[in-house]
Amino acid sequence: MNIICSPSGIVNPFRPEQGVTDISNAGFENISLEFDMCCSAYELENYGSERINKDDSGYPEGWDIRSILRRPEEIGRFYENLTSSIRAKNIKSPLARAPYLPRDTKRPDLKELLLRLAEESIRFCGKIGCRYIVVRPLEKTREQNRECYLRLAAAAKENDVTILLENQCRSVNGHMVRGVCSDGFEAAQWIDELNQEAGEERFGFCMDVGVCSLCGQDMHEFAAMLGDRIKAVILRDCDGQSEGSMLPFTSTYCGHPQTDWLNLIRGLREIGFDGQLVLDIRDTAAAFSPLLRPRLMILAKATAEYFKWQIEIENLLKKYTSIVLFGAGNMCRNYIKCYGEKYPPLFTCDNNRKAWGTAFCGIEVKSPEALKELPDNCGVFICNIYYHEIERQLKDMGIENIEFFNDEYMPSFYFDRLKMV
Amino acid sequence: MVTIGVQTKNVVYDSELRRGGGDRAETEMHPRTGFEMLKRTGFSCADFSLNSYLLNTSLYNFELNNFFDRTVSELEDFFRPHKEGAACAGINIGQMHMPYPNYVPNGKKELNDYLRDVVAPKSMQVCAFFGCPYIVVHGFKLSRNLGSEEAEWAQTEKFLDSLAPMAKEMGIIICIENLYNALGRHIVEGPCCHAKKAAERIERFNEKYHAEVLGFCFDTGHANLVGIDFERFITEIGVHLKALHIHDNDGVGDLHQIPFTFTRTRENTASTDWEGFVRGLRRIKYTGTLSFETGPVLTAFPDEMKEQTLAFIAQIGKYFAGKIDGGFI
Repeated sequence: MNIICSPSGIVNPFRPEQGVTDISNAGFENISLEFDMCCSAYELENYGSERINKDDSGYPEGWDIRSILRRPEEIGRFYENLTSSIRAKNIKSPLARAPYLPRDTKRPDLKELLLRLAEESIRFCGKIGCRYIVVRPLEKTREQNRECYLRLAAAAKENDVTILLENQCRSVNGHMVRGVCSDGFEAAQWIDELNQEAGEERFGFCMDVGVCSLCGQDMHEFAAMLGDRIKAVILRDCDGQSEGSMLPFTSTYCGHPQTDWLNLIRGLREIGFDGQLVLDIRDTAAAFSPLLRPRLMILAKATAEYFKWQIEIENLLKKYTSIVLFGAGNMCRNYIKCYGEKYPPLFTCDNNRKAWGTAFCGIEVKSPEALKELPDNCGVFICNIYYHEIERQLKDMGIENIEFFNDEYMPSFYFDRLKMV
Repeated sequence: MVTIGVQTKNVVYDSELRRGGGDRAETEMHPRTGFEMLKRTGFSCADFSLNSYLLNTSLYNFELNNFFDRTVSELEDFFRPHKEGAACAGINIGQMHMPYPNYVPNGKKELNDYLRDVVAPKSMQVCAFFGCPYIVVHGFKLSRNLGSEEAEWAQTEKFLDSLAPMAKEMGIIICIENLYNALGRHIVEGPCCHAKKAAERIERFNEKYHAEVLGFCFDTGHANLVGIDFERFITEIGVHLKALHIHDNDGVGDLHQIPFTFTRTRENTASTDWEGFVRGLRRIKYTGTLSFETGPVLTAFPDEMKEQTLAFIAQIGKYFAGKIDGGFI
């Protein structure tokens, strides 16, 4: 799985050095190319009106959004500074997002312009070796969109780029409801039909977690319906009411997350997601002072890594010839329920002397001393929330192959929790 | 031709003597009074709120009352004034709401057994006693624990299996309803929120029993909370749509308010897709009841305004009916 950082809210494409450095220093190795950075939904919506002028567009002297709109083939020129900056830091751009209109657009007349912009974006992707581009559906019906996507397929093939459709929401007088491609079954059918017509796998899907959350969707079901057609996931948090791109786990209410991370992780695990995980935190990042942003980016990277770890948790279990657990409580019980059959532990151990020699959920509980005599390539999985305390204990004992297990996002749960003494 | 209905909660009361406050005299309450009010205010149908006799709030606290300990014959005696009152007033009990939940996660076995073995079948008996053709049930909310919506449905289906033979014999259609789950303050979809899947399941279930024993109740408020496209959902559920729970909310909480109440923009246009709702019903040629589940509205407005409030709700129903039957929206 590739972790990608969206530069929106972090990088100024005309003066990218500082933002790209923040991203790079946080350990990100990939960024997405956001074509809306120089051709925003607002600017597109107001194309042809007097509402866009150089002063309110935020472009520096010498750059004019209207030139992109008049000559879409120039879109790449606006990203030259950014691409050379990321190249200098050895950062790659495996995924791009083509320009798009606002959710409540009143500009059906811009279809041709958007198609031209998408085509030119695809060409630019080809030029810089960017493999995927997200192109939002332009129309409401499958037939109308079919024509648009098939037209783009030629440019995509020529530039070896895969076009990703994306789930949309639409505004009913300010209330966001499910839009085009928000039905997983239907979106899967679209993609299969497009690929069939293209004669190759030229289309895939990008799952926007923010849109799923706004529409209250069951992301487990949604991911399962699309399966391996999902090539990218836009990871972002929001309050479930208005569109936003926040750092995951930051939109909360009384200690509860507002995004259904459990079902997202369940779904991506179930389909064995191994594609592009795009972290889009533009609103959180823009709200932070540039002075704090470097530290925010470190947290953002850790958060993205956490998702990757959760989604790929089975890969960690597969890594070892055998495993043992540390902890004989609820987390161990959950492990046994969900993974015990597929990855049976040799035993578990616990610091509670009273438990030694007893059986817990069908496995023997031993003293931590037993960890000193493990077979080769045996992973020790800590099944206790005091991870770092136990990790220190094990390291002091000279134990190797220490891993963490976590039961917050299990494939299923018990109805009760054991009361541990 | 569609008909207009509303839930009986907060309108139809059991027979009792109500002691007035201060110097006020005792008032005799009779279910007929409420049904007459419904008739007067423009309704011809009622959604009988059987769920008022065993509240969900109590069940989620693992509390049972003894209402359903009554024998079927005692229940019939209890509800006879309601049945006769409705008939006298010219109100048709067109649908009924079974108490819910039908399964309490973390509830004791005895509680859940009681809900399945006593409350549910006796609700069916009450439904039959009223001559009511549809009973709305809530599917089990178990996907978090069981790990998938499929596994959750399997449990709901088992529950439905326990009622289907009765339904077939009594000529009642059990209607499953689109529900939600709460995640902090954020509402996400719950059981029966995928129309195509629901339609397939209903068809499979009815084939199993060689009878139309299962149908669907579309709840506009629940759908609005989870961004469901009304027109598309109604179109996909199609002929299986037997009942409606019409009510409005702000997209945040399940408020059960009057349609067209909520707006989100400075233009102050309705933020619930009522046009899509009407288009959907027209597309499937819906001829059932436009039933409002707006009981909470009646506690929000002063008691003295109850009739006007009900009349307003009925007027909205007539507006919808006009658009569905012939108008264009």
